[in-house]
Amino acid sequence: MRLVPRSSKRAQGATPVEARPVVVISPGLNHRARGRDQNGGQRKPRLRLRATLSLVAVGAGFMLIAGQLLRLASLHEDAPQAAISKPLATAFSRPDIVDRNGRLLANDVVIPSLYADPSVMLDIDEVAHELSAVIPSLSQAFIREAVQDRSRQFVWLKRGISPSTARAVHELGLPGLAFQYELKRAYPAGRLVGHTLGFVNVDNHGLAGIERFLDETNQTDPVYSPKLSHRKPVQLSLDLSVQHALHDVLGDAKRRYKAEAAAGVVIDVRTGEILAAVSTPGADPLVPQEAETPERADRLRSGVFELGSIFKLFTLADALERKAVTPDMSIDVTRPLVADGHVIRDPHPSPRPLTVSQVFTKSSNVGAGVLALSGGAAAQQAFLAKLGFDKPLRTEAGRGAFPQLPRRWNAIETVTVSYGHGLAVAPLQFAAAAVPIVNGGTRVPLTFFKRPAGWTNTGPRVVSRETVTAMRKMMRANVASKAGTGWRADVPGLDVGGKTGTAEIAVNGRYDPDAVISSFVGAFPMDEPRTLTLLSLFRPQPTRETGGKISAGVTAAPATARLIERIAPLLPTELLRKPAND
Amino acid sequence: MARVRGLIVIAVLLMVGSAVALFAINYETRRIAGDVSRKEDALEKLRADIAVYKAERAHLSRPERIAPFARNLGLRPARQSQYQSPAGLLAGPDGRLGQGATP
Repeated sequence: MRLVPRSSKRAQGATPVEARPVVVISPGLNHRARGRDQNGGQRKPRLRLRATLSLVAVGAGFMLIAGQLLRLASLHEDAPQAAISKPLATAFSRPDIVDRNGRLLANDVVIPSLYADPSVMLDIDEVAHELSAVIPSLSQAFIREAVQDRSRQFVWLKRGISPSTARAVHELGLPGLAFQYELKRAYPAGRLVGHTLGFVNVDNHGLAGIERFLDETNQTDPVYSPKLSHRKPVQLSLDLSVQHALHDVLGDAKRRYKAEAAAGVVIDVRTGEILAAVSTPGADPLVPQEAETPERADRLRSGVFELGSIFKLFTLADALERKAVTPDMSIDVTRPLVADGHVIRDPHPSPRPLTVSQVFTKSSNVGAGVLALSGGAAAQQAFLAKLGFDKPLRTEAGRGAFPQLPRRWNAIETVTVSYGHGLAVAPLQFAAAAVPIVNGGTRVPLTFFKRPAGWTNTGPRVVSRETVTAMRKMMRANVASKAGTGWRADVPGLDVGGKTGTAEIAVNGRYDPDAVISSFVGAFPMDEPRTLTLLSLFRPQPTRETGGKISAGVTAAPATARLIERIAPLLPTELLRKPAND
Repeated sequence: MARVRGLIVIAVLLMVGSAVALFAINYETRRIAGDVSRKEDALEKLRADIAVYKAERAHLSRPERIAPFARNLGLRPARQSQYQSPAGLLAGPDGRLGQGATP
């Protein structure tokens, strides 16, 4: 723009404006104008007009170029894509799930899904016949029904088929059958981690377990084409090797003791990390219905059970914490205990009074009842609430089952709760509550996710150090001495401690002494436990190996010994610092 | 005057020249963009293949499948008795110090 006045200035300098008459000519007559200009120098305004017009033209040209440059510069990487006429399902791309050592537990794969375009099909009967021969799970009737409506152009026939099946279908050469590629979740470990991982629906959306948690915490991305996630893998606290060992030991125990089911968990008591969690028989994440069936349900988190004498852990800890007793104090257990008109007896009554410590190692119900009554129902309720039994346990795998507490909480309930009857909790919730009893006294939130390095627990203190020390001693004594109920859980050199629990199952309103849940809660090494284990065997049967018994001391306790011996080498080596022959 | 005309001619030539260059760049850019998107597609395909291989590898090396092979090879889980303290290593099997150790 500044060019115009400048050039006119220059023109003015050469010849004053007033001296010239103004002549207007049409811009087309350039040659004439030039001629006249040369002749008389009288044509400056025409020149100005020409120059202005030319400059405007050039300017416009440059503007075009600048515009194009801007367009190119702002051209996005993603050029507009051609629209696809088929309907596209919105799916979710999910991050990989790996165990604490990086071993793959779940990932997305891109696989073909078969759809039909009935409008171009030639012979429906032929399609139904040949296709059901290649994919037996598609019945001929189903195919006919699906492709019946010839006006449609898109009908899913089978979502998620293997590449080899896709090839076989392709080789049929039938018009109207085609594939669309979709994301599908793969679970390489199968049923081993099924309960914890949960499952996804056909659109790869998490519906249960960790998978659901990933969706709820926005760790998945909606996609419109089968694009794999670019997110970092989600690292669980589970150790696949420990998980397998636990699964193996539970399977073995189930066979040995002819149990209906078994469940177990291994927890790092300092961090609350769940290293292994198994409920067997397991559930396949690819078959979501499995986890819904009663026999394959996750007994660890979603079932509540009366767990029996392992609850004495809390009764004793409560009594010690209240300073009502010391471990050496004697309690008269020779006579049955009467509460609210009910008579509580020990199966094998002791002829002598027992010390508090012996009440634990001999698992005396009368002794536990006396200890609980010394504090009363309110104190017991408050202590159980402190351990977290007032609400269901929440982990990344979902909310656990609601604990079933007594509706009325009088003397008799106080007594039965003291030895683990009259209240039903999920085994995982029991394990979570047992953690502070051995780890030094503080509650730790249980997690299925690996804790970051340098994580420190800020959970509330539940019991004092002194109580913990006393409890650890009792737990160790219960396993170390043959007088304890848990001696079969001992592993030389590993300093195992724990408590047995044989809970009768209520059948038609009556406790059936032949139907029990045998559990063992264990920890090691007992001087400063790092690991807590809980095994529960559901309805074990008497066998020759157990001498015709079904109690936890002959079933869950030896199974725990086998478990601990097996997993100790897989855990941090500091656990093995004790030589075997000490 | 001649200077103004010369400037205009140069400007027009420049304009035409840069227009040509710009369109050349435009076509080149489109070609490269096409190239990039083809490479990205290939990359996605490779990632998908890798995902399948990863899943297959994890499935083939799942403990439940490996354990029987290991047992057949005579391998067993490590036992507590296989661990020794440094003091235990110095002592011989009968509890006395070995020859290499100074009492």
